[in-house]
Amino acid sequence: MIVSQNVLEKALDAALSTGADFADIFIEDTYSSQLSILSQKPETAIVGQLYGAGVRLFFGHEVVYVTTNDLSEAGLVKAALNAAQSRGQGAAKKSMPLMQVAFDSIHTYGEMPWEIHRDKKFKWLNSLDHHARARNSQVTQVDAMLHEKFQKVQIANSKGLMAYDERAYSRVSCETYVENNGVKESSSERDGHLGTSDVFDRWDLKKLADDCVDRATLLTTAKYAPAGEMPVVIDNSFGGVIFHEACGHGLETTAVAKNASVFCGKLGERIAPECVTAVDDGTMANSWGSLNIDDEGNQTKRTVLIEKGILKSYIVDEMGAKQTGYEKTGSGRRQSYKYAPASRMRNTFIDAGQDSFEDMIRDVDYGLYAKNMGGGSVNPGTGDYNFQVREAYIIRKGRIEEAVKGACLIGRGIDTLGKITKVSNDLRHATGMCGSVSGNIPTCVGQPQILVSSLMVGGRAS
Amino acid sequence: MDTLKENFNKIAAEARREGAKVELLLSGGENLSLGFSQRKLEKFESTQTQMAGLRVILGANQGYAYTENLSEEALLRTYKEALSNAKTLKSSDSTEIPLMKPQNFSVMAELFNPEQVPMDQKMQVAKQLEEVCLNQDQRVQAVPYSSFNEGMGFKRILNSEGLDQQYKQNYYSGYSYPLAKDGESSKMDGESFFARSFKDIHAEEVAKEGVRKAVSRLGAQKLKTGNYAVVISRDQFPMVMMMFASYLSAKEVHEGKSLFKGKLQQKIASDKFQVVDDPFETRGTAVRPFDSEGAPSQKTTIFEKGVLKNYLTNLEYATKMKLPHTAHASRSPASSMDISPTNLVVEKGTKSLQQLLEKYDKVVYLTEFSAGLHSGYKESTGDISMPAEGFLYENGKLVAPIDQFVVSGNILDLLRDIEELGNEYAKPGSSFICPDVLVKTMSFAGA
Repeated sequence: MIVSQNVLEKALDAALSTGADFADIFIEDTYSSQLSILSQKPETAIVGQLYGAGVRLFFGHEVVYVTTNDLSEAGLVKAALNAAQSRGQGAAKKSMPLMQVAFDSIHTYGEMPWEIHRDKKFKWLNSLDHHARARNSQVTQVDAMLHEKFQKVQIANSKGLMAYDERAYSRVSCETYVENNGVKESSSERDGHLGTSDVFDRWDLKKLADDCVDRATLLTTAKYAPAGEMPVVIDNSFGGVIFHEACGHGLETTAVAKNASVFCGKLGERIAPECVTAVDDGTMANSWGSLNIDDEGNQTKRTVLIEKGILKSYIVDEMGAKQTGYEKTGSGRRQSYKYAPASRMRNTFIDAGQDSFEDMIRDVDYGLYAKNMGGGSVNPGTGDYNFQVREAYIIRKGRIEEAVKGACLIGRGIDTLGKITKVSNDLRHATGMCGSVSGNIPTCVGQPQILVSSLMVGGRAS
Repeated sequence: MDTLKENFNKIAAEARREGAKVELLLSGGENLSLGFSQRKLEKFESTQTQMAGLRVILGANQGYAYTENLSEEALLRTYKEALSNAKTLKSSDSTEIPLMKPQNFSVMAELFNPEQVPMDQKMQVAKQLEEVCLNQDQRVQAVPYSSFNEGMGFKRILNSEGLDQQYKQNYYSGYSYPLAKDGESSKMDGESFFARSFKDIHAEEVAKEGVRKAVSRLGAQKLKTGNYAVVISRDQFPMVMMMFASYLSAKEVHEGKSLFKGKLQQKIASDKFQVVDDPFETRGTAVRPFDSEGAPSQKTTIFEKGVLKNYLTNLEYATKMKLPHTAHASRSPASSMDISPTNLVVEKGTKSLQQLLEKYDKVVYLTEFSAGLHSGYKESTGDISMPAEGFLYENGKLVAPIDQFVVSGNILDLLRDIEELGNEYAKPGSSFICPDVLVKTMSFAGA
């Protein structure tokens, strides 16, 4: 607990003092640490604390949101009154008595980030540098970074909900620079989880560094990708960014409630072939995009979005439920108390199918095998999406051949979903950061390998 | 009573006992954000933030810590964490990192002119940003993004050399992004504004321009894959500036990450490309009287007739690399010291937009990079592979709007291939102040 129940009840009553339909308070006390090495030496060490609250009120479909750094009774009540008086003119309402939400944590944590000695953390980073340079003598620079966050959240609302949770996040990243015969290239890798950083004692940091160096080296001799429409096999793991961009954002009620998604009004309709089942799951133990409770205090869920091609559910937060009438999915998320929550993805993936990777490659006469993906974006209103391919290969007559670089894949979500013709049985997940209206939040993307029969590959015109 | 200064003085005294130097950066502000949806107020957000960041220097090493709690106890604890961080580090360089000594700077009173604007007038602006779009054209299906914002920000720096200076600024901003639909074609585009006085806000014009842009893109066709001359619009050329902005940092040069390393005083861009970094240019959003370590702002020539004239430095890298100190330290309380430009002003050319579009038989007029740099720009190589949209012109006449395509090339080639610059700037709202720019050739993947 960060703030006592008594204080929260007073603040909620203040929030309802001008007739709001609903009020909630999100309180946060977050420890953050960022360490980095450069040129084989510890380079940066920053630690810090976020400490504040956000008070949110609903007047019909209108949302009022106010923040404060003062978590005393006086500070919270003042913020709540400011929120109430900024818009409301109605009669005061009373908050329901608060009841603590009981749940068993899905996730397990080890040593707290402030308990682990900094030398040990730098040892992980140094090992990334060591492995990278040992992998290839052409490595010219290695940046390695460790981010840790320990977020304590307390949430209470006028319906009587009160919840408290602690979330540990740990992530390492590594960027390597390579020079081969005068050609410079770089590549980056990252991995993390919802949990404490002691896990890096056990995780294979050598593989992370090796993959990073190998890709950078490969790119020094790769030619630019071709341009044009062709079949594309998208690899598993971070390949799932295609679903995240092409479909996921368009299923968030943030877009759906405004009639600003191509997926509006399509619940129960076929939006993808039968081989596509897609899930947004907040309940995977210690997974980067998981939760126990969302940032509105609701227990997180496993939500089947598409089942055998049929749209089954949107991604719904408290306001989204009020606006659309759909059931909440425990998906209200935000970067920090500085943002009002919005419906956001958690661990989102296309579920395993029946096909084999080898078969889908064999099916392609000429196309692209997109092995490693970078960032992307989407316009939910039009469904136009794009994402980068960091490592790709040309497929010729059913065989994976030369490596190419500089490809960007573009398309329209609903069209692309319809062109998925094969889904492999090898599902994997990868960590990412997703930026949207309520800030940057950890999410996982994932999928088995998929074959899209035709996709626009934005490479270089011949 | 200046409690913060008293608390800082205690910390500075403790730092001196440790043989350390210390700097406190306090920043924050207030923001009001109003948004309408389907003609009703949907969002009323009022946020206040403040954060103190401490930088402790021990010889060539610097440690950082930050807090949102400004009590004496919290600040002292934060100082100790920053000191502990500094002790952990082992910089590869032995040059002692200096702190700024107090100096005179121009106050720039024009940045802070708070106005007493009644709430109903602010509501009216927020309402117009959506409603005008809905009324303007029946093809407008919704306005997914529209917002009015009123902001006030402050920055204060204190250090153990006796420096204590601060500034405030206030501003208004907003945007209106309608989604237009006609048959199977749907497009979203919009317009934004930035103003330092409420009377300079013209919400109706902003909304109408947003609608004009969105509707003009309906019925887009695929662009045939190939190489084309391209005019990058004045609103979008800032994205190109962002691609190379980090290369100007002496820190990036020192770390071997800048593509401009070893190119000082060399001609690396077209003769016609001239750029100045100007922290006093009030059209830009990066105006400030001093940088993030307190050094008084100054103008810096970046490109003169295509020749790279200066790297940007802060005190540490000016000392370390024996370069002129250009006062470009940048950091937030929660980040480490970096170097970044302020307002980068590209000198205008003499041609109108129409003259640029007439320059070749076929010209792509690029009016939107659809994604950020994270989706298509590789900083370490300068390779560009960016999703974008725009219009195809033939012999200066509009042929059709074109659907999302991918434009590819390399930033060094692009800077070299700049042929002409337009004679008008975009409206205020960016720290990159640019005209329309004609680039001889780039690769386009469309269909």
